[in-house]
Amino acid sequence: MAATASLKSSLLLPSPISDFNGAAVSISTQKRRRSWQPRGARMQVLAAADSKNILVMGGTRFIGVFLSRLLVKEGHQVTLFTRGKAPITQQLPGESDAEYTEFSSKILHLKGDRQDFDFVKTSLAAKGFDVVYDINGREAVEVEPILDALPNLEQYIYCSSAGVYLKSDLLPHCETDAVDPKSRHKGKLKTESLLTSRDVNWTSIRPVYIYGPLNYNPVEEWFFHRLKAGRPIPIPGAGNQITQLGHVKDLAAAFIKVLGHPKASQQIFNISGAKYVTFDGLARACAKAGGFPEPELIHYNPKDFDFGKKKAFPFRDQHFFASVEKATRELGWTPEFDLVEGLTDSYNLDFGRGTFRKEADFTTDDMILGKKLAAV
Amino acid sequence: MATTAASTAAAFACASRLSTSPAVPRPSVWSSSSSLRAFPRGVAARRRAAMAARSAVLTVRAEATTKKSVLIVNTNAGGHAVIGFYFAKELLAAGHAVTVLTVGDEASDKMKKPPFSRFSELTSAGGKTVWGDPADVGAAVGGASFDVVLDNNGKDLDAVKPVADWAKATGVGQFLFISSAGIYRPTDEPPHVEGDAVKESAGHVGVEKYIAEQFGSWAAFRPQYMIGSGNNKDCEEWFFDRIVRKRPVPIPGNGMQLTNIAHVRDLATMLALAVESPGAAAGRIFNCVSDRAVTLDGMARLCAAAAGADIVIVHYEPAAIGVEAKKAFPFRNMHFYAEPRAAKEVLGWTSTTNLPEDLKERYAEYASSGRGDKAMTFDLDDKILVALEKAPASVTV
Repeated sequence: MAATASLKSSLLLPSPISDFNGAAVSISTQKRRRSWQPRGARMQVLAAADSKNILVMGGTRFIGVFLSRLLVKEGHQVTLFTRGKAPITQQLPGESDAEYTEFSSKILHLKGDRQDFDFVKTSLAAKGFDVVYDINGREAVEVEPILDALPNLEQYIYCSSAGVYLKSDLLPHCETDAVDPKSRHKGKLKTESLLTSRDVNWTSIRPVYIYGPLNYNPVEEWFFHRLKAGRPIPIPGAGNQITQLGHVKDLAAAFIKVLGHPKASQQIFNISGAKYVTFDGLARACAKAGGFPEPELIHYNPKDFDFGKKKAFPFRDQHFFASVEKATRELGWTPEFDLVEGLTDSYNLDFGRGTFRKEADFTTDDMILGKKLAAV
Repeated sequence: MATTAASTAAAFACASRLSTSPAVPRPSVWSSSSSLRAFPRGVAARRRAAMAARSAVLTVRAEATTKKSVLIVNTNAGGHAVIGFYFAKELLAAGHAVTVLTVGDEASDKMKKPPFSRFSELTSAGGKTVWGDPADVGAAVGGASFDVVLDNNGKDLDAVKPVADWAKATGVGQFLFISSAGIYRPTDEPPHVEGDAVKESAGHVGVEKYIAEQFGSWAAFRPQYMIGSGNNKDCEEWFFDRIVRKRPVPIPGNGMQLTNIAHVRDLATMLALAVESPGAAAGRIFNCVSDRAVTLDGMARLCAAAAGADIVIVHYEPAAIGVEAKKAFPFRNMHFYAEPRAAKEVLGWTSTTNLPEDLKERYAEYASSGRGDKAMTFDLDDKILVALEKAPASVTV
């Protein structure tokens, strides 16, 4: 184990990437625009020995886009393993040409399909990596060839999910809580079990709902579409269900924090926002972030409708939130963005510039509104 | 001190984020009150630094402390009464000298109820129990002086000021106050964390501000609901009463409202840590709650499980039926959920509340008390149930 290297890594702090914050905030609350810089961050130049040869599984879509930038800035050699369907790099809104050129000149690409286990094993063994960040792994079988190929791996850092927790009347979810072997995310659970059973230094991160610019899951985007269209926001049930959003940049910072951190060895960490939010409160927060007026909220009983395959609301209809206290205590990591700040960052750098991943689809909204009008 | 104004302002500042920095080991020079007096500027400087950084994460070594003399001014009724009882026991077990001053008369009927009916447990452990008027603590305690005072009685400055002034005049080193998490302003973003906005008009807020001005070493504790043997006010009993009689349990709203129900022993250990680490606790507010929230429906279910019984929960809209939720149901009809983040970070406190297990113990006591066999009327429940029969809840909300 490269103990000295890991100690040095644990002293490194993510470099400020203030360029990513784009235009000045244009919201009514006079929030100080925050540059994405952890408290007391220092840029520390890595000695050659501290620079790691890092493989990122994925890295071109959302989390990895921000994580890989931090890693490259830290001086590591970073390779992205993707099929190459999406561009390996994209210039981020607010990112200067110079920064983008610097990043894209340094990032490496290993083209392949991670479902091709033989290819994974041989190509990874041939290259040899110190650390693997597995951002897009879903099933344990996908991880086996990676572990087989890299017997001297220093750390396997896995992006799991708080979706593995068993639903409970007692909240927040903590890392020691019961997990649900039948959950939609059981592949993540099996991967965590695999990592535990193998002789590898692993760390597992369990985010809740991730948000931020480039989000491909229509979380904030779902609200922004409706707010922009001046439509009421249909919310299932009473709207007092509590959920939790974590900014992708805070998540990326957490991924950096665990790199070589002695307290991260064989540990699981919930990573998300410091506070939770009700469904109703989230609609209001999105409105504030985008400079929209206070939205009209319409509550409905989902059981009164058959939405078919369409999702009428982007969150699970239940309380779902996790405590990030372990990460704060053990790693000294804290989220930098509070909810409105983070949503504003997302709005200013993404939706507010006219970009989004999914076109607006108000089919289910109209079903709900139609029934409400008929009932009057 | 010049910095108390700053610390007061900072302690009550609206903060939407609880931020921390990596833990640093605490020098033991801060832990005893005599050291605080010896290094007042050091203390002030530490507080300034802490406030500037929003909050400092400090690890506390609960060292072998000097024994303290502690006065608990205790309310004679209500949900908070049991706090003083457990706190006294905790301190006595640790070897501190404890006096409990209960408000009012020893001969009062109120003293026939728990925890007062069990005060022999305090005296047999070496504690003193006295009765009197908080407006004249000196007389009530026979002129004795103390290192630490906890006011677990007053809800506003009228009640607490005399106690605080007496404490200051007699050189009390540390002043602790049982406030209330009820003073937090409702929020879209739970949980309530220390530093969040409070209702400025609340009596407890006035007290917190006053003691912050008066004492260098002060701390305020904001509890929610408690369970525990010796409780003066019903909590879980409300559910057991209905469950054992096989009555439906009416819960307002959709039952998803979160609340925080702690075993009172957790509050006692938090308070004791503050006594044993006054430097760490100084100038701080602590949410005095467990570290898990429970939904109202969840609490009902856990009570039923503890009783080994089935449960039928019915939801209702108080306004629609014409009942006051406050009278019909013992918990706030809204999310009311604070987290004990400061205590964990600053005092090294941990929560031991385990509702599923703790409620079993509570049920055992309930069952053996015979309360489940007593004739009881459920007028408001009946009103609710009748109204629901006439107009079955069209689902929701």
